[in-house]
Amino acid sequence: MAAKKITVVISQAPGRNPTKRHLEEELAAALLMEPDIDVSLVPHLNDLSADHTGSLYLRGVAGHLVVLSWLFPRAARWILDRNGVKGQVGVTLLKPADAGDDDPSPEEEEAPRPNAIGALNVPKRKLYCLDLRDQSEPKVYLDEIRRIARESTVQTVELDLMSWIGGSPAPAQMQRYLNPFLPTQPATPAANGNSNGHATGNGQPAPAAPVAPPPGSADEALRRRWYPIIDYSRCTNCMECIDFCLFGVYGVDTHERILVEQQDNCKKGCPACSRVCPENAIIFPEHKTPAIAGADIALEGGFKIDLSKLFGAPSAIEVAAAERDQELVNDGRDAVGLTVGIPKRRLQPTGERDTLDDLIDDLDKLEM
Amino acid sequence: MSESDPLVFMMGQFAARIPLDRSYVESHFWLRPEGPYWRVGFTAYSVRLLQDVYFLNWSIDADTPVRKKQEIGEIESSKAVSSLYVPCDGRIVRFNERVASDPTPINTDNYGEGWLYELETSAPLLSAADYVAVLDAGWDKTQRMIKGQMNE
Repeated sequence: MAAKKITVVISQAPGRNPTKRHLEEELAAALLMEPDIDVSLVPHLNDLSADHTGSLYLRGVAGHLVVLSWLFPRAARWILDRNGVKGQVGVTLLKPADAGDDDPSPEEEEAPRPNAIGALNVPKRKLYCLDLRDQSEPKVYLDEIRRIARESTVQTVELDLMSWIGGSPAPAQMQRYLNPFLPTQPATPAANGNSNGHATGNGQPAPAAPVAPPPGSADEALRRRWYPIIDYSRCTNCMECIDFCLFGVYGVDTHERILVEQQDNCKKGCPACSRVCPENAIIFPEHKTPAIAGADIALEGGFKIDLSKLFGAPSAIEVAAAERDQELVNDGRDAVGLTVGIPKRRLQPTGERDTLDDLIDDLDKLEM
Repeated sequence: MSESDPLVFMMGQFAARIPLDRSYVESHFWLRPEGPYWRVGFTAYSVRLLQDVYFLNWSIDADTPVRKKQEIGEIESSKAVSSLYVPCDGRIVRFNERVASDPTPINTDNYGEGWLYELETSAPLLSAADYVAVLDAGWDKTQRMIKGQMNE
């Protein structure tokens, strides 16, 4: 009996990009042969609703969990958190292929900010989020997953596995066993080898059959979604987002904590609340700007200064207000500019402190 | 125009020349009349911060109306990456194709061959002295920030 097992979930890219699909399939095929690893496929995390079978499956995983997705790890982590898939941040050694070689330190867990309100009910198990855009070679991911598997001692998974083998599988497990979905492109070992609970490499039944929906599956058909995700390791509950958004996206829970309450009220393409958040705690996973899509900002800038402000860039507040006005006008409402939901202090020059701070630090390095 | 000495703004040990024969905007570009238009380029202050320019890309076509703060391109240098924005409302008449294909003149001759584009505008502009005053004000703030004397 395998004492150590970790679960690897590959979240598939939306669309049919053959390069991405190929990487997903190669990884799935290779991981199926690993004795200590359960592997499953789910659709793109950003598009999963909380009651999608992929979400149900993810919530059913009890032990250490590795999630590979086409998202920044921070975005993936907080999407999962929102869907009730929680865990301590697992530190990965995986780095983007274009990261500087002169920085040997691994991507370290960002320390929660002092005033951040933090996530609730986080279990001890670890959650590793890997970005499939970082590298093109499956081997890099496989090596990292094996390393994670080695460093993990996974009693909770053992319990989970025992309950499965002992005849009391979690509902999601049973669901997958009885109704395994074929992956969208069946011509792969992943599809052929694990589509109906076939034995995996170690001779165990495969409790984690691929859960990707078949094409055209009506109840599982995913539409692209657009909504903010809150990074509670940064959020200070300052409520600027709820004041700024005029579309009723935000609300508070019974503990008076900010939350994304009506995500479908969000206006597709509009990231304005993310720009006004003083802690950069609001992520739009699908936005084209890395800092808004959940990139680690420290890494994102690399070693270069961003002089955009100096060369006349509008402030984040100005951009946010313009984006909000556009959506208001589209809804047949009046533009409000900078008159609503913007704390006065944000309109003063000190509101630029963070950007200027960074600039100054960088200037300092230039030894001027 | 007389060859009067340029104003000089000291960036630490570096002397940024600010010629008197042209106008300026707060976003660190110079503008000099060229026929009916304004030729636009980086000031010495900008170039000192950028250092060696590697790459310049314009995201709009020439002969396009533009609005102040509209993003029109990006620049990458040894020290910086930045988007570039229009300093005032108007129309971009043409880009300096030579610099677009090889940005070297931005470093070697920023007030001459390193010009970026020609702009039609009637917006108010700064004199060299005004611009140096802008730099003075900004640099003081910068110095205070560097020394950590700015209150949080």
